[in-house]
Amino acid sequence: MTDSARRATWTRHILAYAFLTLAVLGALVPFITTTISSFKTDTELVQGALSLPKVWQWQNYVTAWVQGKFGIFFRNSVIVAVLVVVPSVILSAMTGFAFARYRFRGAGVLFAVFLLGMTIPSQALVIPLFYELKFMGLLNSHAAMILPQIAMSLSFGTLLMRTAFANLPREISEAAMVDGCTSWQAFWRVLLPLVRPILGTLALLFFIWTWNEFLLPFVVTTVEEYQTLPVGLLYFQQRWTSNVPVLCAGATIIFLPLTLLFLIFQRQLIEGIIAGSVKG
Amino acid sequence: MRRSSQRSSKSGGAEPAAAGSARIPGRSSVLARLEPHLFYLPALVIYALFMVVPVAGTVGLSLVHWDGWGAPSFAGLANYVAAFRDPLFWQALWHNLVLIPYYVVLPLAIGLVLAAVIEQLKLRGTGFFRFTLFLPYIMPGVLVGVVWRWLLNPVFGLVNEVLALFGVAGPAWLGDFKLALPTVGLIGAWAGYGFCFVVFLAGIQKIPAELYEAAHIDGASAVGEFWHVTVPGLRGEMVVVLVANMINALRAFDVIWATTRGGPGRQTTVIASYMVENAFNINRVGYGAALAVILAVVTIALSTATLRLLGERK
Repeated sequence: MTDSARRATWTRHILAYAFLTLAVLGALVPFITTTISSFKTDTELVQGALSLPKVWQWQNYVTAWVQGKFGIFFRNSVIVAVLVVVPSVILSAMTGFAFARYRFRGAGVLFAVFLLGMTIPSQALVIPLFYELKFMGLLNSHAAMILPQIAMSLSFGTLLMRTAFANLPREISEAAMVDGCTSWQAFWRVLLPLVRPILGTLALLFFIWTWNEFLLPFVVTTVEEYQTLPVGLLYFQQRWTSNVPVLCAGATIIFLPLTLLFLIFQRQLIEGIIAGSVKG
Repeated sequence: MRRSSQRSSKSGGAEPAAAGSARIPGRSSVLARLEPHLFYLPALVIYALFMVVPVAGTVGLSLVHWDGWGAPSFAGLANYVAAFRDPLFWQALWHNLVLIPYYVVLPLAIGLVLAAVIEQLKLRGTGFFRFTLFLPYIMPGVLVGVVWRWLLNPVFGLVNEVLALFGVAGPAWLGDFKLALPTVGLIGAWAGYGFCFVVFLAGIQKIPAELYEAAHIDGASAVGEFWHVTVPGLRGEMVVVLVANMINALRAFDVIWATTRGGPGRQTTVIASYMVENAFNINRVGYGAALAVILAVVTIALSTATLRLLGERK
């Protein structure tokens, strides 16, 4: 390589890194600023977003967690997420297995019905869901958020798991049967462990969907006792308009766990979200 | 792999294979016939109650006048007719359409250039870029809205503070009648470009290296390689990203509700927020349901049309 060519490569790389740095800053600065501001006093915050706090106000987090009720919102988000993700993954696997391994009358129609949910946005469900849950006496309960979100997860889950089971060699389940397993046992002991990575991806995707869902919890809860983090954050913003540092603490409470989760499961999470992105 | 060593005492387990070659007598044959249904039945119950019923319910409610309390009265298609005569409906739909370029074109372009720069110049740190740029995309829309509403605060927000460093007096952004909708669009673009980037990054890695080598031998510049190898090679990914982002633009609600609630005035009202307003704030339940049906139909129609139009030409 000649000197001038090398210099051209250098310039190009410097320009490229400058552009990338800009993009990375664009993505990160909002989060970093929010976290830094969560440690400021109200006066410091109004003076400018670019400075660091003189004394780090850890009690903003106590205020957000206790008075701001973020502790309750966090608890609700965890309860709802766990009780949506675990049953959704298991039910998706069972349903996917049924459609992958059996042929029975009406299977095609039923599978199409299961897939229908992929094209339905939650906006098209919430109005009747509100009245249905009201009729069932479930408004303001965890169940009001859990049951519909399991239903919303099942379409994509069934599709993904059917593919996963269909891709397994048939001999594996047959071998298990020869060993004397019932298909129920073969499903749990032999086949399910084989698709474990896909179950993990699915669980992460369902978790993100549930953790971030806003419209449904917004519609079916009216008391703080049952609100999840996104709903709680919104009401907090409206109620405590003057206390931005505590609002920032609340926002940090929401995005920090997500960031950590993403850090740990980066590859599976990206895989899952891309696979699930075609959902309507 | 864990193999089942436990022998079952229940003999003649149903054969799950399609061919009905298994001859199992008596009770177990009933069991065998029931078996597939037992696998999907629990899911079907929940799915029917909380997906099928609500979908039918939305369609049903769209055909009645109802205030949510008294007895509903049959309205036929009156709610749909009302929507087509409602200037606020058309305004909301128009706002959704205006959001599409912000949600679709901008993130697509930024994501494409970012991915191409990293892959074509073979820069290091792919994992780092993938992590940081994708981060906004996994965040709840409400969080994105709340954070940006504060960053864009005209008095003490970061954006106008930075602009002031350059001697520019920043506008009111979300409070400005003309700028509110583009601002909401830009927030959507911010949340979306990392997704496009990651999809394109994976796509470029699948493009055969020989294509780049051939272009290089032909004397193509990096820009030439971008247009003649990278862009055509990412066709499939572009369609996926396009459709996914378009759906997001049409369903946009969380970010808007957290930033402007459709204001100022009605400058950022979209179909979803207009629907929530009607169904839950002013109790025009039937009309809200009709809006929900229209939203679903428009979303499905536009995304299928895009897939047909771009997917087939290969």
